[in-house]
Amino acid sequence: MVFPPPIKVHAAPKLVNLVSKLNVRVLPTRRRLSQPDGPEGRLKRMRNIVTALVKNERIEVRYHSGDEARGYAERLISEAIRYGDLHKPTMDLAKFWIHDEAAVPKLFKVLVPRYKQWPSGLPYTRMLKAPTNIADYMNSTSLYAQHLFGVLELRGNPFPPLPGPFAKPHPGAIHNVLLEEARKEYFRSQTNIEKQAEQQTQAVPVPDEEDPLEQMTHNLLSESPTTESPESKK
Amino acid sequence: MTSTLLPSVRRTFQTGRGQLLQNAGVVGPLWKLGNLQFLLNGSNTAFGGSVTFIQTREMSKVKHRHTHPRHIWAKKRRERNDQELTDDNQSFLKKIIYDTYGPTTFDWRAENTGMPFVSPLKQIIHERGVWEPRSIRTGVIARKIGIHPMWDKEGKRMLTTLLQVTDNHVLKYIPPEVVQRNYGKRFTRQDVGLLLVGAESADPQRFTKEYLNLFEESGLPPKTKISRFMVTPNAKLQPGTPLFATHFKVGQLVEIFGHTIDHGFQGVMKRWGFKGMPASHGVTKSHRRGGNTGGGGEKARIWPGTKLPGHMGNRWRKLKGQEIVRINTKYNVLYIRGPAVMGEVGSFVTVCDTFMSSVETMDKSTIPFPTHYPEESEETIPEEYYVPNLFNFGEPSIVFEEKR
Amino acid sequence: MLKLFRYGFAELSSISQLSRCLSIGACSRAFTSQARRDPSETDEATAAINEGERLNLESDSTRTNSNADPHQNPYKNEMEETFAPFRFVYPEFLPDPTIKWRNRVREKLERMDMLKRRSNIDIPEFYVGSILSVTLSDRNAPGKTNTFVGICIQREGTAMRSMFTLRNVVDGHGVEITFDLYNPTILNITCLRLEKRLDENLRYLRDAPPEYSTFPFDMVPELRNPDAPVPINTLKVKLNPKPWHAKWQLWDLKGVEDFSHELESREWRKLNTWKFSEGYETAKYDLMKTYRSTIPAEEQTEIYSEVHQQLAKLTASLRKQKRKRTFVKPQKTV
Repeated sequence: MVFPPPIKVHAAPKLVNLVSKLNVRVLPTRRRLSQPDGPEGRLKRMRNIVTALVKNERIEVRYHSGDEARGYAERLISEAIRYGDLHKPTMDLAKFWIHDEAAVPKLFKVLVPRYKQWPSGLPYTRMLKAPTNIADYMNSTSLYAQHLFGVLELRGNPFPPLPGPFAKPHPGAIHNVLLEEARKEYFRSQTNIEKQAEQQTQAVPVPDEEDPLEQMTHNLLSESPTTESPESKK
Repeated sequence: MTSTLLPSVRRTFQTGRGQLLQNAGVVGPLWKLGNLQFLLNGSNTAFGGSVTFIQTREMSKVKHRHTHPRHIWAKKRRERNDQELTDDNQSFLKKIIYDTYGPTTFDWRAENTGMPFVSPLKQIIHERGVWEPRSIRTGVIARKIGIHPMWDKEGKRMLTTLLQVTDNHVLKYIPPEVVQRNYGKRFTRQDVGLLLVGAESADPQRFTKEYLNLFEESGLPPKTKISRFMVTPNAKLQPGTPLFATHFKVGQLVEIFGHTIDHGFQGVMKRWGFKGMPASHGVTKSHRRGGNTGGGGEKARIWPGTKLPGHMGNRWRKLKGQEIVRINTKYNVLYIRGPAVMGEVGSFVTVCDTFMSSVETMDKSTIPFPTHYPEESEETIPEEYYVPNLFNFGEPSIVFEEKR
Repeated sequence: MLKLFRYGFAELSSISQLSRCLSIGACSRAFTSQARRDPSETDEATAAINEGERLNLESDSTRTNSNADPHQNPYKNEMEETFAPFRFVYPEFLPDPTIKWRNRVREKLERMDMLKRRSNIDIPEFYVGSILSVTLSDRNAPGKTNTFVGICIQREGTAMRSMFTLRNVVDGHGVEITFDLYNPTILNITCLRLEKRLDENLRYLRDAPPEYSTFPFDMVPELRNPDAPVPINTLKVKLNPKPWHAKWQLWDLKGVEDFSHELESREWRKLNTWKFSEGYETAKYDLMKTYRSTIPAEEQTEIYSEVHQQLAKLTASLRKQKRKRTFVKPQKTV
């Protein structure tokens, strides 16, 4: 039994609250994670992750739980930015999602100023897949053991950056070396072509007066045509 | 287009009762009436001139749904390389791609006009064919973008499905001789060639080399979706020709071919519309079960074709004789009458002229042949075309006049 | 380590959006500043903006601390504040929030059709609880037109699908008619009494005495100050004794008198069980659920900034026509 029971009406967006657009990918429906304690238990699981994230700024979690909680964290921060701490419903939200009361002021005093002037289009959090030692999970039946864990962090945190996409690509790698050479050669040939074109323009032969096509090309190639052919006037 | 009835013929051979027919060797024309199939034998058989009919079921052991691409097809997506490129190299690759192809990425989720990107075609070399009564034109690839209601001039509500023709180009023409050699008598007509059409240009870095080879001849960037259409040689098009929504005319009947929605493994109530069993009155653990599946005695087994739980949807389906009621030329959108077009919002379908000549009322010679070339049309194309009896929202409200 | 590389591609996509978003923001800012500077040139635009400001006062009641310290409430977007109240006046311009059914091109085409239709018929502002009169062409009616008057008990659907239901009691029988808002046979929609009620829908009027939903067909439209906020009718309806059409105890109805004496103990027990099993207490904290059931503010702004100019122009011109038609020149009488 769904509460309240669904009614057969055409769907329309709810208009009560204005919400900020999230810059993370939002799945069409929520993930079907196991929820032995019901929907309330599910929210509590999410809450634990969000609280830990606000407190520690970088945490290691199960990938799918973490990615699910990422949306809640983003929403919480965007609500805090939108309405501030004097707005009672937002304060209630913050108190629910951060069950450690000591960490609630951090949301409004530290994170909101940090993300107030955040470039639009950039999410507040970052989710990464953590390397997993598959040997530890050989006995488990899960085929997805390699995606078990992830790292969820707030952007702009004080910790040193994680290795991975943010470590610089190695310029000494073979494909980079080869591409580098190809690039140099390409631009060298481009300059050669330009030089040749310049030389050609300098040494443009006097056009045959009877051939209009040749005359036109001559006019095009030489930037300031001194004489105009009778054809071009027409 | 392959004959849809072919698998059922093969099926009758496989069953035990088809043995005699198999000995007869030749199978004549075939009609399908409900679930009865009449098989007319050829003249030089043991049953010369006689009619045999065999009852067959709709479902069979023939596998309709393929869950993976065929092994002969080129592998499409390239595996992502773990090694990053330096910024210089990345921008260099982008520059090279832009120089060769122009703009390549087509985002169907964003607000787009569906117009084909720049074609590499400088001039048309192929001679253009002339329409004849039995000639077949190419079709287009479209995306289903949604359903919304419209009204006719009598004030009657109807649902329309919107199909957007997204960045379509002709890739390749295969002449009838090659088709004959490769496919034999698989097509209903022997004088047809094939035309490959691609939709939605994409970044070449995402695809394998084998897949990119398919686009070498036309000089186009790789396409997300490729499809083939049966065409007569007079309707062939040069590789690189862009296709628009104006390829069709309003009021025309078309055939739509695509994948249905994938429902996954479903029970009999959802899959076949069974009634289930009561919620109470002593019923336990079988409220949504199918009940009895067969008799006893000699028939004590599950008969082929019995309606049982199983995978539902994600199968090829063809809709015949669908009417185009409206065309938007700016956004390349076809409005099809009715909500029956298969697939989810965002899924690909192919749209081509109907083969149901008995139902088609439009004079086929007026349809642009072999396709519509907008740059050659003398008048400016209007933004919208409507079927005469469809209500245009720019008009005043409908008023009925009193009969005198 | 290699897996980390792999995820980096997904991150890059969001960064690539950055430049596009920035450019859009710049455009919108330029637009507002222009509209503010020379109001004489863009009359329609400013009219819409003024209308928005007027509506802003009444509707956005959630923002209690608008005069608070700006440091505490740093978020301020002029465009958004202007267009935020439009969602109540023109709700059907927002698309269906179901993510898998959304498509930008279709939404745009629908909006264009809606504007075309609105150029031919004046669709007034109305809410659930307002009393409307609808005239539409009917082939089978004498005179070929038909008029129905009733209270709007429900609004549903989006864009071309949007509908509203009117309820009235005719000859002792409750009658409900659902109209398509963009049905071309509709000749006229008049709002006889503009007001709001406490609930999202008034389906419970089916189980209320008929006097709550009886309205005369010759009702005269009430005069009201166009600049005043829309009044909220705080009427509490007394429901009939059971049996009912639906289990009204399952919704938090505000416009209904207390009916707890109607419920049996078994129903109370079941109600509490349902509330517990569905996480009734914590459902309001499910932030992603609310996100999936609405259209984000940025998208709303984009939509209304696209259509508002044309909307204001249409409504102004249509109302002018209407006034001309209704105004009869007084004649001299001896």
